[in-house]
Order: sequence, then C-alpha cells, then structure tokens
Amino acid sequence: MAEQAPGVRIGGLTVVYKTPAGELPAVRDVSLTLEPGSITGIVGESGSGKSTLALSLLNAVQPPGRISAGSVEIDGLGNVAALKGEELRKARGRHIGYVFQAAQNSLNPLKTVGKQLLDLGRSHGVEDLRGLVRDAKELLGRMGLDGARVLDSHQHELSGGMRQRVGIMLALVLNAHLVVLDEPTTALDMITQANILKIVREVHAERGLTTLVITHDIGVVAEVADRLAVMYGGRLVEQGPTREVLGSPSHPYTKGLINAIPRLVGDIDEARALPGRPPTLATVPKQGCVFRERCALRMDVCDTVDPEAVAHGPRIVACHAVTVKEHA
Amino acid sequence: MTVIARRLAGHLARGFVMILVVATISFFIINNIPGDPLAARFEKLVEQGMSPEAAAQAVKVLYGFQPDGTMWQQYVDYMSGLLRLDLGESVTRPGTPVLDVLGEKAKWTVLPVLAGTLLSFLVGIILGVYAAIKRTGKLGDALAISGSLLHGIPQYVLAMLLVVIFSTLIPLFPADGPVDILFEPGFNAGYIGSLVEHAVLPVVTYALSAYGGWILAMKSSVVTVLGDDFILASELRGMKRSIVFRYIARNAILPLFTILALSLGLLMGGAVFIEKIFNYPGLGLLLIDSVNERDYATMGGAFLLITVAVIVANIVADLFYTVIDPRVRGGEEAA
Repeated sequence: MAEQAPGVRIGGLTVVYKTPAGELPAVRDVSLTLEPGSITGIVGESGSGKSTLALSLLNAVQPPGRISAGSVEIDGLGNVAALKGEELRKARGRHIGYVFQAAQNSLNPLKTVGKQLLDLGRSHGVEDLRGLVRDAKELLGRMGLDGARVLDSHQHELSGGMRQRVGIMLALVLNAHLVVLDEPTTALDMITQANILKIVREVHAERGLTTLVITHDIGVVAEVADRLAVMYGGRLVEQGPTREVLGSPSHPYTKGLINAIPRLVGDIDEARALPGRPPTLATVPKQGCVFRERCALRMDVCDTVDPEAVAHGPRIVACHAVTVKEHA
Repeated sequence: MTVIARRLAGHLARGFVMILVVATISFFIINNIPGDPLAARFEKLVEQGMSPEAAAQAVKVLYGFQPDGTMWQQYVDYMSGLLRLDLGESVTRPGTPVLDVLGEKAKWTVLPVLAGTLLSFLVGIILGVYAAIKRTGKLGDALAISGSLLHGIPQYVLAMLLVVIFSTLIPLFPADGPVDILFEPGFNAGYIGSLVEHAVLPVVTYALSAYGGWILAMKSSVVTVLGDDFILASELRGMKRSIVFRYIARNAILPLFTILALSLGLLMGGAVFIEKIFNYPGLGLLLIDSVNERDYATMGGAFLLITVAVIVANIVADLFYTVIDPRVRGGEEAA
C-alpha cells in the first residue's frame, strides 16, 4: 500500500459530457504531473473544467459525463481511469481522499459524524474501529476541534469551518496519501479560510501527502501550492512553479487573471477585469485556441490550430504567441 | 427522553383543547340544522291518534330523554357527557350508545383502509426508489406512468372495475359484504378465512388508488436526495453501496411520514365508495346514513371520532420525527 506520498501522472485526459448537441469536452487533452509530496493548485473560472478534472482523479465523473481518453496513473493504484466496481470503490477513501467545498453538505444530516465515521470504517473493512475513532479524534484535535464532541454532533450542529475540518478528517482518517481538495475555502470567512489553509499546509507536511487543491481563488494557491496549473475552457493553458507563474505569467490568460486582482497598495483602478466571458461547454471552440476570443495577442494561426503545451524550462505553456516569441 | 415527554405533554394539552373546540362547533352546527327527529316522531304518534301527552311520554321512554331546557344547558350536558366518554344514544337505533355504534362500524373501516394504506405505502415507496434511480430508463418511465395513471383513476371506477373483473367475470373474490354470515364470528379458521377473502378486493382497490400518490411522492423525494452533496460525498469516500442506499432511503422517506400520518388520521372518515360498492358497513356509510336520517348524536360522534383520529395521528407523526430526525430534536432543545 502507498504509505509514501504517491506521484500522479495525468496523461492526455479528455472528459466529455453527453448533451443534446453531442458529446462535448469539459476537459480536453490535459497532461499534468503531481510530484510525490507536492501541493499542486489548479485555478480557473467557473466552468473551466477544474472540478471535472478533480473528479477524474477518483474516476468519479458523474453521468452524463465520462472519461473518453487518457489515463490517470497513481503510484500504488495504477491507471485509475481503468478501475471499476469494488476495486474503484476501495481506492476511494482508502488511497485518495476527497474534500468537498465547505458550503456543500458533505455529511448525512440524519447521522452523527461518529456514526458516519463507523460507516466509513465498515465500508473499507477496518477491523479496529476503536482505533479508527481514536485516529479521528486525534486528527480533529490536531485541527483545533474537540474530537469527542464533534464525533457526537450532527451536521447542523457544526459551523462551516468545523464541517470543513470534519471533511478533511474523513478524507485522511483511512490514511489516504493523495488528497484532493475541491474549493476548500469557498464560502468561509477570511479568518476561517486562513485557518483551513494553515491546517492543509501543516497536515500535508506532517503526514507526507500529495495534495491537489482546486480553486478559483489565486490567493489560495499563492498561499499553499508549490506548483500552479491554470485551466481555461477545459485546457491547461499554463503550469509551473507557483512563484514563477504568478511573478511572470506567460500565457495571456494568466496575465489577465493576475491583472484582475486589486492590489492592497496602489490605485484600485489598476485592476483590470478580463474582457469577455469564459466559454461554456457549448461555446468552446471546436478548433484553434480556446482563449482566442478574449486574447489581446490573437493571431491567424490561433483560429485554426490548437496550441500545443510546450515546456519552457519548468514552465509548460500552451500559446502560439509565447512559442513564437521563444523562437524569434 | 425528557424532550419527547415535554413535547408529548404540550401536544396532549393542545389536542385536548382542539377536541373541545371541534365538539363545541359541531354541537352548535348540528343543533341549528333545521328539522328535529324527536319532534318528527312525536308528531307521527299524534297523527296516529295518540294524545299529545301520551305521545310525549312515549318519545321520552323511547329515547330516554326529552330535549327541554335551553341550548346552553344541553351544551353543558353534552360536554360533561363527553368528558365521561358518553356520546349519547343513537336516534335511529334507540337505546344504543353512539360509542357502541361507532365501535361496531369502525372495525369494517379500519381493517380494509389500514391494510390498504400500509400496503400501498410499502409498495409505493419501494417502487418509488426504483422509479427514481432508473428514471432515465424504461423501467422508471413505466413505474412513473403507472403511478400517474392509478393516481388519476377515481376510486369508485377502480372499485367497480375490480368487482366486474374479479367478482362477476372471473368469480375469484366475493364483493357481498365483509364476511360470510355462515361462519360463527370468532377466532376460527373459517371466519378469518372468509374475512380475508372478502377483504381482498376492497384492500386492493384502496391500495391501488393510494399507490400512485406514494410512488410519485417517493420518486421526487429520492430524486431530491440523490442530488444532495452528501450522497456524492459518500460515494467519493468509498462507502459501500448498501450504506449509501440506506442514506438515500432514510433521508427520502422522511417527508413521507407526514403524509402517511395524515392519511391514517383521515382513515376514520371512512371510504364511502368502497364501503358502498363492497357492502362494508363502515364509518363512511354510517356518516352518510346518519346525515340522511338526522341522527344527530351519531353524526356528532362520527365527526368527533375523525377529529380525534387526525389529532392523534399528528401527535404520533410529530413525536416520530423527534425520534428519527435529529434536526427536529435539536430545534426543541434550542427553543
């Protein structure tokens, strides 16, 4: 079993959704490597396909969606995209922990957290249920909660921040070493957000995890992630070390995103919102670059040829303009 | 447990007041209905040549009372009788207490309607889960359509259809009353067998006509729960299918208990069409007959019985929620 932080290699992943207009890609030809022990952040607007990508890691894309091409190789598990049935169920929770957005109710409202913990243990054939409860209390205590009390509570008796910590506990209690956090701080107040991010960082380091954080909030990735991947219209347009990408963005979309953030110092009007709107499943261009409609650097080639993801040192960028500049 | 006890005490107090209010209202309404069965009897006797004094005496002997005194006095008499569970005597069945009449009729209503309700509830919720899970497939469509269809057919049409098919064309089941009079009433195989045989068609009618509502309600409730985040969350945590299924079922069935409790409360109102068509001398027919015959005491008793049943059903439902839904429990503690 993967007692060490596992590496993850996503290769050429395409996820399509069945619609009346045919099967449309929500994630297209995405390749991404999560180094063992790293925290990777994926940022993108709503509808960019980042949550779909996160679900693909557990082969849990919900119908009418399906993984139509590519693979998700996880150390110790093999290609998750090919797993089925019981094998897949056992991998979830045991090897891959998934933490939901705090605003979502990820707990059964009729059962106490403790009873759901026991259900989880039984589902995964844990024999030492007392030990499981002990681990859960320890984890909750580690996150600043009164473990015994939380286990005895129902969802409606917990605050958003507490629920989120319960979610993290449930994702880690079976000793999963790959953790996916989908919008972990959305809908939390700033103080709780900072707390949760601190917990994510610390638990990540203590337990030796490989972590993937999905968010629309660049501040969150800046705070926790070693590597950053930017998604747009189902494509990964740029990825690289967080500091580099934020410090000197290459892709025009990344630049636009960063220019849109208001600064604490300086004129508020310096923040420029990106013109236009992100494409939806139905309006994503079939050929050419997905970002060209909103791009200031648009060229003829962008209309016809989908830019390939090209490595520039530790950075991978999918943009004709950037590639041309390099070669010029 | 103290929470439940406190809730129960509150409910009982409120229920008691409600019963008194309903009894008061029905007393005054019934008393103001034009026509007076005792006066009618008195006049009939006078017409037959009896002297007014003798006729008055005869009526008094027959019914054990003569309504003199103010309405206020009668009201006090009625209410104090109520507190002793004395609903008075039936007007059309002189000498028989209304309570006995109600008890005698209630069994022919409670048995088939209760059996029909529980049967349809059970079948409806189980098939409702399948209708929800398979809602994109043919099975789901078929189940939903069956629900809408049966929900739409009036009960009496269904009843007559069943009588024609299973009693007349293919004489499988009788439709001539609740039991064969050949058998000695009591706990013997012949009598019970006859009871069951006679109950099949009414129960099936009731179950079929109620089933549509259950399956549709359960289907929409399950679809709502399936869309809840915690179901996906449970799957992503690798919970066993059987456990996830229990999560879905328990959450989806919750709102249906209110409907079940209410329909069980209304059960005492009887099912007039079914009782008429299958010759069941139940509460529905009793109520209709007592209205036609101006049997005020029986009418009042029947109304009261329905009231009490609905109130009790509501109390039971509420206490039940306190037990099964932690959010209701918590709400009481905070209040």
